[in-house]
Amino acid sequence: MAATKASSSPALGLPPIRDGEPPLTHEDAARSVDRERVYSARKHSKRWKLLWLLVGPGILAMLGENDGPSMIAYASDGAQYGLGFFVPFIPLLFLMAYVCQEMCMRIGAVTHRGYGELVLQRLGKVWGWFGAGDLTLTNLVTLVAEFVSIRVGLAYFHLGAGVAVALGLALVVFTLSGGRYWRWERIVLGMALFNGLFLLAAILVKPDVGALARSLSFSPFPGGSFNTLLLLLASTIGATVTPWMIFFQQSASADKGMTPRDINHGRYDTAVGAVLAAIFGIGALVAGAALLTHNGTGIQGFAGAGFPEALKHVAGSAAGTVFALGLIEAGAVAILTISASTAYAAGECVGVSHSFNSSPRNAALFYAANIGVALIAAAVILIPGAPLLSIALNANVLATVLLPVSLVLMVMLANDKGLMGAWANKRSTNVIGIAVIAFVGLCGAAYGIDSFLQTVHLIPA
Amino acid sequence: MSTPPKTRDRHHDAPAAKADPHAEERYEDELIMNLERDQFVAATSQPVARATLSARTTTALWALRVFVVLVSLMVIYTFIDQLQ
Repeated sequence: MAATKASSSPALGLPPIRDGEPPLTHEDAARSVDRERVYSARKHSKRWKLLWLLVGPGILAMLGENDGPSMIAYASDGAQYGLGFFVPFIPLLFLMAYVCQEMCMRIGAVTHRGYGELVLQRLGKVWGWFGAGDLTLTNLVTLVAEFVSIRVGLAYFHLGAGVAVALGLALVVFTLSGGRYWRWERIVLGMALFNGLFLLAAILVKPDVGALARSLSFSPFPGGSFNTLLLLLASTIGATVTPWMIFFQQSASADKGMTPRDINHGRYDTAVGAVLAAIFGIGALVAGAALLTHNGTGIQGFAGAGFPEALKHVAGSAAGTVFALGLIEAGAVAILTISASTAYAAGECVGVSHSFNSSPRNAALFYAANIGVALIAAAVILIPGAPLLSIALNANVLATVLLPVSLVLMVMLANDKGLMGAWANKRSTNVIGIAVIAFVGLCGAAYGIDSFLQTVHLIPA
Repeated sequence: MSTPPKTRDRHHDAPAAKADPHAEERYEDELIMNLERDQFVAATSQPVARATLSARTTTALWALRVFVVLVSLMVIYTFIDQLQ
C-alpha cells in the first residue's frame, strides 16, 4: 500500500513518513494479519464477524476480575447477609468498572500504547514507577489468592497444592507458547466463558425467585459493625475494579491493534464483559446465599475445601462440583490475565518489547515477567503454614486502597487533548469518573483507617 | 495520535461519510500493511512528549500518593496484626 500522508503528532514528535515504509518487526507483521481481517470484515459489511474479531480485552478484563477471591467474596456476602443489598450493588459496581475500562480501551485504541508507558512518558518517571510498584504488589498478592482459589476447587476433588501450582503454571506457559496475541486472547476468552459455571451453581441451589426480585430494592441493608460494613464495601469494590484491569485492558487494546475506528466495538466488548461479569457474580452470591440458613458453617478453612463442600451438604453434590470447577476456572483465567498485566507493565516501564506478538527472544522481559510473577505466587502457596485464607481475603482490600492513584492518572490521560485529540473525555464522563474515584477512595481509606485505629486500640473494636 | 478522526466507521458514522465521499479512499491510502502509521513498533517506541503539570496538580498528586501509601501501611499493619 501507499505510504501514509498523515502528519506526525506533536505529542509523539515522530518524523513524517513520506518515502518508503517504516522498518517492520515481527510484531508489526503479526498485528497486520489480524488487522487485515478486521479491515476486510469492515469493508464487506460483515458486522458479526467484525464484532467477533474486535471483542476480547473488555470481556477478559471483566471476567478476569470475576476471579477466585472475588467469587469467594460474593459467596461470603451471600452466606453471611443473604441476597438483599448485594444483588443490585454488584451491577452498580460493574457499571463503575465499565466507566473506567471504557476509558482504558479508548486511550489504548487512540494512542496504541499501554497505561504504564503513557504515565511514565507523559506524566513522569516517578508516577510511572509508583504505578508499576502498586501494580506489582497487588498483582503478587492477588496471584497468590488465585492459586489459593484453584487449590480450594481442586481440594474438593481431593487434589493438593502441587496440582494447583502445576496447573496454573502449565496454563501460563501453554498460552504463551504461540507467539501471537490473537491465539492467547482466544484461548483465555474460551476459558473465561466457563465463569458461567457460577450461574449454573446458582440455578442448582434452586433460589427463591421472589426473594431475588425483592432484593432489587437494596434491602435489607447488611447488619453488623461499622468496620464490618466498610470491609464488605472495600472487598466488594476490590472484586470489581482493580489496578491490573486498567493496565491490562489498555495494553491489550493496543497489542490487539485497535484503532479509533474500533472504539464503538471496544465499548460493546467492555459492556458485554460487564454484564456477563455482573450476572456470574450474582450467581456466586446466590449460590453462597444457600448457606445463609446454615449460618455459613463449613465455609471457613481451606483444608476442608470450604464453599464447594458446604454447598454439597446444603444443595447437593452437583452444586458443590460446579462451584468447585468455577473456582478453578476463575483462578486460572485470572492467573493468565494478571500475569499478562504485570508483563505489560514491566515491558512498558523498562522500555523494551512488550507484546504477545513478539517472540520470546525479542521480548525476553515480557515473557520472563509473565512466567516469573506466576512462579513467585505459586511458590508462596507451597510454603507450609502460609496464611492463605488471610491473603485471599485481604487481596481485594489492598487493591481497593491502591486503586485511586491509578484511576486519577487514567482520568488525566483520558483528558489529555495532546494525546487523545477528539477522543478526549467529555464532561459527563469526567463527572462520573470523579464520582467513582471519590467513592472508591473513601471506602478504601475509611476501612484502612478504621481497622488500624481498632488494631492499635485507639477506638473500641 | 492527537490528530482528529481521519475517517469514521461507515457503519457508525454515516453522516461523516456523506459529508466526505473520499474519506474511505483516503483512509485506505493511509494504511501500511493494514496498520495505521502510529501503530508500528517504530512509531510506538518513540516516547511521547512530557506533559506540563501545574504546581497545583503536582501537589494534589503527591498528597494523594502520600495518603494512599499511609492507608496501605495501615492495612498491611492490620493484616500482620491479625495473623498474630
